[in-house]
Amino acid sequence: MKKTVDELVVELRAELIKQLNLEDMLPEGFNENTPLFGEGLGLDSIDSLELVVLLDKNYGIKLKDPKEGRHVFYTIRTMAEYIHQNSDRI
Amino acid sequence: MSQRVFITGYGIITSLGKNAAENLQSLIDRKAGYGALEVLDTIHRATLHACEVKITDRQLFESLNIATDTGYTRTTLLGLTALMEAIGMAGLTEQEVRNSGLLSATTNGGIREFEKYYYELMDPAQRGDFVRFTDTANPGEHCERLADFVGIKKYIGTISTACSSSANTLMQGAQLIRHKKLDRVICGGAEALSKFTVNGFNSLMILDTEHCRPFDSTRKGLNLGEGAAYIVLESEQEVERSGRKPIAELKGYGNANDAFHQTASSPDGKGAFIAMEQALAMAGIQPSAVNYINAHGTATENNDLSEGLGIQRLFDNHVPDFSSTKPYTGHTLAAAGSVEAIYCIMALQHQMIWPNLNFENAMPELSITPVQQLKRNASLTNVLSNSFGFGGNTSSLLLASV
Amino acid sequence: MTGQPVYYINGIGILSPQKTFDNDVFLAELSSYHENVLTCVTPEFKNYINPIQLRRLSRMLRIGLTAATICLRDAKVQTPQGIITGTGYGFLDETAKFLRELLEQHEKQLTPTYFMQSTYNALSGLIALSVKCMGYNNAYVSRGLAFENVLDDAMLKLIETPDANYLVGAFDEAAEVQFLASTRASHFKTEQIHNLDLFNTTTKGSIQGEGAAFFMLSGKASDTTWCALHDMQFVYNPVDIAEVKTSIASFLKKNSISIQDIDLWIDGASGDIEHDRMMNDLAASTFKDIFHTRFKHLCGESCTASSFALWLGASILRHQQVPVAIKVHTEKHPAQLNTILIVNQYMNKNFSFFLLKQV
Repeated sequence: MKKTVDELVVELRAELIKQLNLEDMLPEGFNENTPLFGEGLGLDSIDSLELVVLLDKNYGIKLKDPKEGRHVFYTIRTMAEYIHQNSDRI
Repeated sequence: MSQRVFITGYGIITSLGKNAAENLQSLIDRKAGYGALEVLDTIHRATLHACEVKITDRQLFESLNIATDTGYTRTTLLGLTALMEAIGMAGLTEQEVRNSGLLSATTNGGIREFEKYYYELMDPAQRGDFVRFTDTANPGEHCERLADFVGIKKYIGTISTACSSSANTLMQGAQLIRHKKLDRVICGGAEALSKFTVNGFNSLMILDTEHCRPFDSTRKGLNLGEGAAYIVLESEQEVERSGRKPIAELKGYGNANDAFHQTASSPDGKGAFIAMEQALAMAGIQPSAVNYINAHGTATENNDLSEGLGIQRLFDNHVPDFSSTKPYTGHTLAAAGSVEAIYCIMALQHQMIWPNLNFENAMPELSITPVQQLKRNASLTNVLSNSFGFGGNTSSLLLASV
Repeated sequence: MTGQPVYYINGIGILSPQKTFDNDVFLAELSSYHENVLTCVTPEFKNYINPIQLRRLSRMLRIGLTAATICLRDAKVQTPQGIITGTGYGFLDETAKFLRELLEQHEKQLTPTYFMQSTYNALSGLIALSVKCMGYNNAYVSRGLAFENVLDDAMLKLIETPDANYLVGAFDEAAEVQFLASTRASHFKTEQIHNLDLFNTTTKGSIQGEGAAFFMLSGKASDTTWCALHDMQFVYNPVDIAEVKTSIASFLKKNSISIQDIDLWIDGASGDIEHDRMMNDLAASTFKDIFHTRFKHLCGESCTASSFALWLGASILRHQQVPVAIKVHTEKHPAQLNTILIVNQYMNKNFSFFLLKQV
């Protein structure tokens, strides 16, 4: 059974909090549509590298160019949608 | 009041050659040291090409006449090769070596050996030949090995500010001489390739899988390299006393921090600008007096943009000839500052400007392009050597002919 | 005026295996350890580091940045002119984490955080970033002389710009990797001891310590000055005790003081029966009439333990008090506390001397 986008959203949220040590710093109102970088959550280029590895490890998706990640990692939802479309491991 | 600081010798080993003469010839012949990894054992050897010294540890031990069971790491062996050449070129006596200072730089020290014997070293019950590498996770270990081997006793120090490390040894060496703490300091750095470094840079996704292209709009990242380079700095007084002929003068230097990001340079090159500006101010020269810049030019998207803008800001519409020699040697990390300082000294000695290999397309953000062909009869008096690193460290050296 | 420049310690921040992060208290309560590894007593990091930064910092970066922040606050300096750090093994825990992942995952799927945080200048860069200091920045990694190199660098800079403030410091962590590798080379004792009994042992090796200590060094005193650092000098690889003695004599002569002028000396004995021979010799000869103290039972041995000694000396001068725990002869007390000499050693190969005076 392939996971739905909504299921992936829940999974990713938990995984991100763990991998990027976000526990005590999620702002009020943070949800799957909050931008992860810049004005949103404020993640930086090192986080995006961590996310590149997360995509590879957990979902078998290889991003060659970290810049590609900027669109994929825009929000938790965009990540979930990208994984839903491109992973054959879910 | 302050002493002038002269260069009286140097030694170098890189993928271009095992001594100064071989390095010079390769620079002239456009012969880069880039290729598949053969000596380092890594799964990336075929995919992540680098500029490796194609000499095995055993061969290095032999050429230095050292027994192979002494626990010298590859970093130390490369370092000794360059250090001995530097001492020889300056023609230092045993007593003069003893009274010298040694400032050496490394980002890895003996991590190559530490990673190789990691599991054995972590098990106190195990015994074997690997025990000679017990302390190789210590970055200062190589410097003490170098000092003890050649007999330097007066002063030692190890510096590690990532990719600007050995430029900082030259600065500190010059400072110790200017304040008359020492008459002579041998400064430089040594760096062996390791799985640790290759994988570390790979995890940052800043390694190009092809030959690197500094200042090119299609650049995709850097190639790693290995090597060692040491420079003998001496006070004006000591040069007069010994009658040694100075090769060049270390006339100015600057060190600043970009204070922008842990691994990235500021987009406007502020740190680079400050370091270069300080170097010129100390040398007491105007930007227009600089004839050549050996750029840090790693070919990462970030560095070349930041450095290029910093250069443009300082030199305005009169940017001198500049090039990055990283396509030749790869990024030799802590050794890069002293390797490139030596290339600058060679440029002054031979009045040549080294080409920036692999450049084809100008960067849209910059109005300047690097020198692409070897320039002879370049009439060089003042040259600038840039070295920047993670942690925001930016350093710039001003070398002048004598 | 002797013509020798004088340096002032205008602020300190230190985290160590003792509760030292509060500058108002001076070793009022001791932490004791029944194992051979001493780790830092830490405050609530949130009080010193903002949560966004804190998120990804390793333990040692947290300790280092906290010590630096305490020092900046203590000195009432917002942005120093330069930042210089020293360390022996750097962030060895992070190095080992990246190395283990590399080996276990066969060089595949590695993330960069551990690698980035293993670089030796990670702390000097991080502090520069935190206080927006674009000035001089350097990092020394010279084993048992790293902190001494740092001081040399800053002291020379202050000759040219005495008004400047340099944030200088040292750090080392009690990394398991180092403990395991070095125990084989007898760097650490194999029998378990109590740290306060360190100097009663008769075996090879010391106990492993750690810490981060920062000092605001300036050529000018301020209303936050702890004491003056008159001079520092190191000796690399002395051939024998005579060379150490000669070096001490010329160091004192250069500073125009005699042995009798020293009110108290702090020795860098590490509890290693062999390495401590020189210190024991000095105690019985050169310094036999000088009030004697030791410190490595409190902080453990590390490449940069001399930074703990510098804090200790500065604290004695500031508080005009000698904690009982550091006295070699508990019954005696020095007549006055104006001049302190620190004589440190690391592995019997790296020696250094520090001369401190009350202001």
